[in-house]
Formats: sequence, C-alpha cells, structure tokens
Amino acid sequence: MKRRPQIWKWLAISLLSFAVVAGASLLFLIYLHSPKHGLPYHDSFAQGKADEWEAFGGTWAVYDGGMRNDSDERGAKLMSGSPYWKNYLLEADVMLLGEDGDAGLIIRASDEEQGVDSYSGYYAGLRSRDNMLTLGRASHGWLEYQNVPMPESVQAFRWYHLRLLAYGCQIVASATFPLSGGHTTTAAMADKDCLSSGRIGLRSYSAGGIWRNVHARLATEDDLLAMLGNKTRQPFSSEEAAGNGITIFGSGSLPSHVNQQARPATNVQPISGLRLVSGSQPTAITIRGVVSLTAPLYVQDSTGGIAVKAASSPPLKVGDEVQATGTVRSGAFHSNLENATVQLLWARTPVQPVSVTASQAATGAFAAMFIEVEGHLLSKERDAQNTLVLNLEDGQQSFRALVHGGRGDLLFNKLKLGSLLRLRGVCVVDSEYTNNLTPFVLLLRSTDDIEVVTGPPWWNTRHVVAAGFALLLLLFIGQFIHSRIEQWRLRAILEEREMLAHEMHDTLAQSFAGLGFQLQAIRNRMPEDMPAVHKQLDLACDLVRHSHEEARRDIMMLRSESFEQMELTRMLEQCARKMLDGGPVEIEVSQAGDIRPIPLRVNDTLFRIGQEALANAVRHATPTRISIATAYAKNFVQMVIEDDGTGYDAGSEKKGFGVRGMKRRAAAISAALEIATSPNKGTRVQVTAPLPARMAFRWKTHPKGSGSHEQA
Amino acid sequence: MNRHENKAVRILIVDDHPVVQAGLASMLATHKDIEVIGSASSGEEALTMAQQDTPDIILLDLRMPGMSGIDTLRALKEAQTTARTIILTSFETDENIYRAIQAGAQGYLLKDTSQDQMLEAIATVHAGKRYIPRPIAARLAERMLRSDLTARELEILEMLAKGLTNKQIGHALAISENTVRNHVNSIMEKLEVSDRTEAVAVAIQQGIIQVAS
Repeated sequence: MKRRPQIWKWLAISLLSFAVVAGASLLFLIYLHSPKHGLPYHDSFAQGKADEWEAFGGTWAVYDGGMRNDSDERGAKLMSGSPYWKNYLLEADVMLLGEDGDAGLIIRASDEEQGVDSYSGYYAGLRSRDNMLTLGRASHGWLEYQNVPMPESVQAFRWYHLRLLAYGCQIVASATFPLSGGHTTTAAMADKDCLSSGRIGLRSYSAGGIWRNVHARLATEDDLLAMLGNKTRQPFSSEEAAGNGITIFGSGSLPSHVNQQARPATNVQPISGLRLVSGSQPTAITIRGVVSLTAPLYVQDSTGGIAVKAASSPPLKVGDEVQATGTVRSGAFHSNLENATVQLLWARTPVQPVSVTASQAATGAFAAMFIEVEGHLLSKERDAQNTLVLNLEDGQQSFRALVHGGRGDLLFNKLKLGSLLRLRGVCVVDSEYTNNLTPFVLLLRSTDDIEVVTGPPWWNTRHVVAAGFALLLLLFIGQFIHSRIEQWRLRAILEEREMLAHEMHDTLAQSFAGLGFQLQAIRNRMPEDMPAVHKQLDLACDLVRHSHEEARRDIMMLRSESFEQMELTRMLEQCARKMLDGGPVEIEVSQAGDIRPIPLRVNDTLFRIGQEALANAVRHATPTRISIATAYAKNFVQMVIEDDGTGYDAGSEKKGFGVRGMKRRAAAISAALEIATSPNKGTRVQVTAPLPARMAFRWKTHPKGSGSHEQA
Repeated sequence: MNRHENKAVRILIVDDHPVVQAGLASMLATHKDIEVIGSASSGEEALTMAQQDTPDIILLDLRMPGMSGIDTLRALKEAQTTARTIILTSFETDENIYRAIQAGAQGYLLKDTSQDQMLEAIATVHAGKRYIPRPIAARLAERMLRSDLTARELEILEMLAKGLTNKQIGHALAISENTVRNHVNSIMEKLEVSDRTEAVAVAIQQGIIQVAS
C-alpha cells in the first residue's frame, strides 16, 4: 500500500524532465545567438542550392554554380547569415554584368528592406563607372568613406576577388583581379560608432552581377593586420565625414552615362504599332524599349511589348534600354521581331508591372508585356531543365507560369496547392509556350516574382484528417488520465479501508475480546445460587461474542487483500464454509456469464447481503443444502442464495432486522432485492444489481501484484 | 509432565491491548488450576519474562507493535524456553495460521472462543499435545497441501482447469495477459511440472483444486 510516494516520484520525474528540457532549450538559444554559430560558411551554389538566402529586389537565381542577378535594379540585395555574427571575413568572386554600376559584398547588415540603400551595414563594391573599389556604410542612406582606384579599369564579365572584413570597429575591403597578376587594392575604415554585428549580403547597383565561392569565416586581429598590410587607416564617423569634406551621397545619385557606340535611331516605331504590320511583306523595323526579360528576350516600351529573336546581341540585363532592328512576323494574337540586331543603349531601371486580372491578360491586350496577376495554385511541377511549371486559376480563367528553378527547393516546397499567388512576369500568348492549352503563359524573371498572398484554405483533406487524429489522441489521453485518476481514487479508498480495518482491529475487536473475558470472569465468580444473574451474564457474554464476530467480519470485509484476490462467488462460498464449520450441509455453487470486474461498491454490497442471507440460513433455517449462484450479464449482475431450510412466514416481523439491513444495502446500489420464503419451503434471496455498460476495450493493464479492483 | 500434574498451570499473557490483558487475566484467575504469572505487552517483554518466570503456557497475540507474534515465537524457540505457546488472536487468515504453526505454536485460538474451549486448549497443550480447532485445522491442512500457491495463483489454476486461455483469464481478472503468464509460470514452478495441462492434472490429483461437475 505504499503507493502515495509513487505520485511524488512521478512529480519529481516530470519536474526533472521539465528542467532538463528548459535547460537544453536555453543552451540551444544561447548557441543560436552565439556570434560563432553558422561560421565558417560556404555557399552551395555549385549544387544549385541557396535556400538560406533572402532576396530584396533583383532577379536572383543560381546559374552554372553562381548566384546571378541580371536586373538593373538599383540596390538589389541577397542576404544570409546570422544577425549575431561579429568579427568575420567575407570573401567572394564577383562579376559585373553591366558597364554601368557596381557590385559587391555587404557585412554586419540588419534592417534590410527593398530599396537602394535600405539596410544598415557596410558595403564594399567594384564600380565600373569610375574604376573604383568603394567602401562605406549604409544606414538607410549612403555614407561613402573611401574610394580607392583599381590599377586597371573595372570591366564587366571579368572575375574579381573581393574580401570584406570586420574586426572590432575596423572595416577593411580588398579587391584583386587575378588575371592581371593579382595586385590587391585595399580600402579601410575605422568607424568610431560602428555597427557591431550583422548578416552578410550580396548587392549590385544597376550593373547586375554573378557571385560565386561566397565564403565567410571568423576573423582574428592577425587577419586584420594581414589585410591592412602597411596601409594606414583613419578614424571615421558620420558626423565628421561631412566636415572633413568626404563625399556623402546616395550611391544612386550619379547619372548614368550613355553608351557612345549605340546612337538612338531616328525612325523608331512604337511597339504597339507592329501588330498592324502585315505579315506578307517583311520589312525592317526598328524599335526601342526596356528589357523586361532576358531569356527569352522581351522588350517593352510605353505602348506595348514584343518578343525579340536576336541574331546578334550584347549581354543584356533586365532594365537595359535597347534598340532592336529586325523583321516583324505576326502570329494569331501577337507578333515577334525576328532576326533582330540588338544594341544596348544604356541601363535604366526595370519596368514596373501592370496589375491586371487573369481574364484581362487572356484577351491578349497585354501580350509580351510585364504584368502582375493573381491566381490560385492548382498544381506545380519541375521539369528536367529545373524549370518550375505552375498551373493557376483565377475564377474561370486558368493559366500557367514558368520560372527558372531559382535558389533551391525551399520555394517550390513552400508553395502549397490552393494558395493565392501574386505573380509578376511577361504575359506570353505565343503557342510555342501556351501549347494552346491556356490563353496565356506568364514567364517570370526569378522565383522572387512569386508572392504568396494567402495560404491554402485550412479545410483541406490533410488538415481534417490531422485534426481528426489529434482529436482521437486527445480522447485517448483523456481516457487514459481518467482511468488513472479512477485507479488512484480507488487505491486511496482501498488504503483508507485497510487503515480503518486495522484501526477497528486494534480498538473495537480488542475491546470486545477484553470485555468478553471480563464478563466471563464475573460469571465465573458469581455464586451458583443466582441463576437469574447467571442467565443474564451468559446472554451478555453471547452478545459480546456476537458483536466481536460482527466486528471481525467487518474488518475482514474492509481489508483490501480479501477483495483483491477473490471473486464474489468464491468469497461467498468461503464465507458459507466458514459459517458451517465443516458441517454436513451441502453447498452448491454455480456461476453464469463471463466473470468480470464489477465496481467495488456493488461487489461489497452483494457480499454483505450474501453474507447476511447465508448467516440467516445457517443459524436459523437448519438446511441440508445451500446454493449460491451468480450471473454476470451485460449490464447487471445477479446473486441468488437459496436454502431448503425451515423458511419463515414472510409476513412475520421476526426476521425483520436482517431483512431490513439487506433492503437498505440493496437500495444503496439501486439493486432489486427479492426474498421468497414461507414456512418449511426454504428461503430464496435474489439480488439484481445494475452495472455500467461494459466498455469495448480497456486501456490499462495492471501494475504487477495489485488486484482486480478497478471498474470496467 | 508429572511435575505439573498437581500444580496449577503457570500462564504468561502476551498482548499489547490492556483491555484484553486485564480481561483474560481476570477470567483465567477464576480457575483454581490456572495461575496467571504475568502479562507482557510486547514481544521483548515476553522474552524476558519467559526466561525469568518459566511459564508453562504462553498465550500470545499475533499482531503487536515492534516484535510481531511470529517473531516472538521464533525468538522464544531460539532462547530454548520450555514454555509452550498458544496463539490467541482476532484473525484467522490461512497465512497467519500456517506461519504460526511453522514457527512452533502448539495451539491456535481466536479471541472470541468460548471459555470452555480455551480451558480445553490450555489443558491439551499443557499435556504436550497440539490444540487446533477443527475448522482451523482443516484450513491449515488445505494450506499445507497447496504448497506455496497464492490465492491469486489458485484462482488462475482453477480457471486453467476450466480450460480458459491466458487471454480469457486476464480479461476475467482484469489483469494483463503477461501477468497471467507470469502467474502460470510461477504455478508450474511451484508444482514442479513442465506444462499447464500437467499443472492442472497434478493440482486435481493432489486435491489442490476440485473439478466442478
């Protein structure tokens, strides 16, 4: 019966495990916030993976092992790393894609937003316009600290190696052009009130670029000294900067310069006018516009867009202003400029999309134009060329969207069927893309042109099933807890009963015994000539002995062992044998139905009624045969005690006391008690007690050694 | 026995309940051939008094704080006292009777026994015989027969005899099938048999269980 400490043990175990979990989470949190967590870092562009990067503008996608942004967007950023990184060195190979602008690396960045200098951090980049390595600090505005001229002019389509280091409040940048013997240009600053930690990033301004071998590692003072060499560095603070005559301007405020080779032609036609050109007479036509998509090439002016099949073309980026001369071929709802000669005029900013509905786009009015459309995702797939194909629907209008795989699996996996997407891309009605399955296809520049507006509706099959399972699990747990509590409660009752039994044994029973002996002693000493007193004393002795016997029976009853180990029928049989003391009376026992545990209270009450009935039979009826029968049914249990003894007149009040007790007990468990008797015809006592309906199955098993006392 | 023949039987009462002590002493003192030489209220006290006062008979309660009746019995045996012991208790569980007799008690009485029976018991035990009332003797014999089977094992044995499977037994007794299997193994071990069929056969043969007709 030492079960109570088990609860404490449980409590202690759960408290301990809670403490362990809490401690582990705390350590994990500290680990996540550590300035070393995640370092060293090396990109996986070669494997086509870049899920850890986050884009702020631009058309970032992995091509051929490099991270590429072929957009003219000013200040397009791609960020990664931990905001807790402090002293580290970031290195990468960088290639500019355009002659006008710059590209480089960001360190210690935070608060990134889409926009030219919308972040806090340090940036070092190569600028082709004035052939400089530029170093400065952005705090949602640009504070340029140092521009160091490169030994040779900075040109597009060449690999440069950039290093950018932060140690304490010292920021050092260096650039090398390995092909020309590896002369290293270094720029350095000591920022008094420096940004102490932040993420890493890739950034281009107008030029676009490709980055590869992006690598970050912890930096030491030795690294700092090694990079600085003998270069002196001056203290820098933004307040002093203006006073010291250092140029402070937004990195986007310089005017772009015009490509001298490509002169704008004079006989330029508006693109929308090309639709009217007859296909039968191919004539050379010149158009001018901004590149809205590079592969395939789409150009757009203020009137419309067109697909350009270039015979010769310089490398182009999204946002470049170009001039193209070629022949127009008209299809059913569109026209292409074929066999075109494309000239790059200058870099401009990418065009903004026109927001339309899918049914508007389906009319063909926006063919070859950069648009923004919303639609619900119906299905998604990825083909062998790592092109994502999205099938979408907006109302009754279905369409497809094609996009290069982007920066890894994350986005593709994240796109949930049924969610509402906002897509930006070039609207194409050419059957080469539509296969005549949908009225138009959207060609996206990069996966960043996909925006999830709202997720899929909650009530899909999977969630409902999951919720069902969760509910089942809850029910299961609830049932388990309920049965556990019930078990505990029962144990507590049994413990209490046992204590009561011991208490009664130690006081009541012993007192009866002592009293009995004392009365006997008095009777022994009483002179023989007082028969009346003798008779009374004998009666008193009998009464005490009877009470003692009753008390003993109660104690036996209360002791849980007798319950744990005995089924009702057997208990009654034993009781009867004890009462008969091995006498000549025949005892018949029978049982019907499946024996099963019945509630303690019912068991108890039936036993006490049975005991009383047996006692009556043995003491008063002088039977030759007593039968004990129990029957277990689905929702009741029945007990019948029958004897062939003298019986009694049911109307007489002689046996009233015992019968009243039986009735009272039966009523307490809502049982039906029937007593059939008449003189010389024996007595039949039948009790039918209702039971709670049997459960389909049981959760619990028994702790070893404990009994069968809980309720089904 | 001769030296006691004409003398009163010297009795030591051991019971932690003063009411019982006093009552018993008063009652026994009314008989000329009985002399209550003292009352002890614990096993330790009884041990000292038994060695000092050399009683003929010790009336011993089973349930006492500290040394239990059984412990006291064993200690008395170890101390090689000449006294014979009658257990006088309120309880008659099979296990108590069995253990008391094993520990060397010559008699077993319940406290609600009549005076005459008690006197008879004292006389019998004093004469060097055992005194165990008939129903108690019957149960003792049964207990002896059943080797060391527990009540639960006995119950399971009976169900086995009825041809129930472990699963059915587990269901009926609301215990797991595993627990039933453990019990069955224990039964086979105690009866020194190799399988359950043999266990039932042996049990019926030895009268451990009766087959219901």
